[in-house]
Amino acid sequence: MNVEFIEPFVRAAFTVIESISGNKPEKGQLSLRKSSFTTQQVTIMAGVNGEVEGTALYGMSFVTALKIASAMMCSEVSEMDEMALSAVSELGNMITGNATTILSQKGLDVDITPPSVIRGVDVEVATKTPALVVPVNTEMGLLEINVSLAENQMRKAA
Amino acid sequence: MAKRILVVDDAMFMRATVKRILENAGYEVAGEAENGQMAVERYSELKPDAVLMDITMPIMDGISAAKAILDNDPAAVVLMCTALGQQSLVIQAIQAGVKDYIVKPFQADRVIEGVSKALGAA
Repeated sequence: MNVEFIEPFVRAAFTVIESISGNKPEKGQLSLRKSSFTTQQVTIMAGVNGEVEGTALYGMSFVTALKIASAMMCSEVSEMDEMALSAVSELGNMITGNATTILSQKGLDVDITPPSVIRGVDVEVATKTPALVVPVNTEMGLLEINVSLAENQMRKAA
Repeated sequence: MAKRILVVDDAMFMRATVKRILENAGYEVAGEAENGQMAVERYSELKPDAVLMDITMPIMDGISAAKAILDNDPAAVVLMCTALGQQSLVIQAIQAGVKDYIVKPFQADRVIEGVSKALGAA
């Protein structure tokens, strides 16, 4: 996978997290996985399609998910109900949407699919390309960004 | 009388957030829709003063829904409210007749400014 594809997701995550929490996150060490895989308790999954296609996963602990939902809803959330899940899912939508905006500024025409939230650890998503993983440390806890994207040669040629 | 707004977003959280922002500013939320097709139907039924519309939604996306609403009612006031800021989408929306394009994450003031200006210009 092209390493340049993950940077827009990290930049977008910084923008969105800073906007909802008021605090600047910190970027951890980049690593490579054979496929998209999350060991986190709550994972938001969003699809990317167009000239670049694949999957973006945003993994976090249950406690972090509650803190993110609380920050987004501007009130303390103690239960992961439908509204809290929707708030956490919207975080994934905002990060992926903002990332595709950055990709479009690099000349790539891309779109996203509505995100889904997965609860449960050790979830593997079959992907065509290896995944790049960047941990982002926030005041609400760790957010693990897992991006598996490849250029769609048919769309690029069209 | 308070201006009536139709709020369209597939995320329950966003519909609730936008509703709270609008109601705090004195607007009335005429109704909600969670996809583009439902938005077109609810627009015909409710005849709101303005529509705040997401783009990435299942069944029918927000740009297609905005075009359908504006085809049926060229005087409709539609604003996009989306995480996608691609220039190509902004151009498509403006060409369809959309009055404003708000990119998420947004501040409450940005939504109120957009709705107020769009309704003032309608």
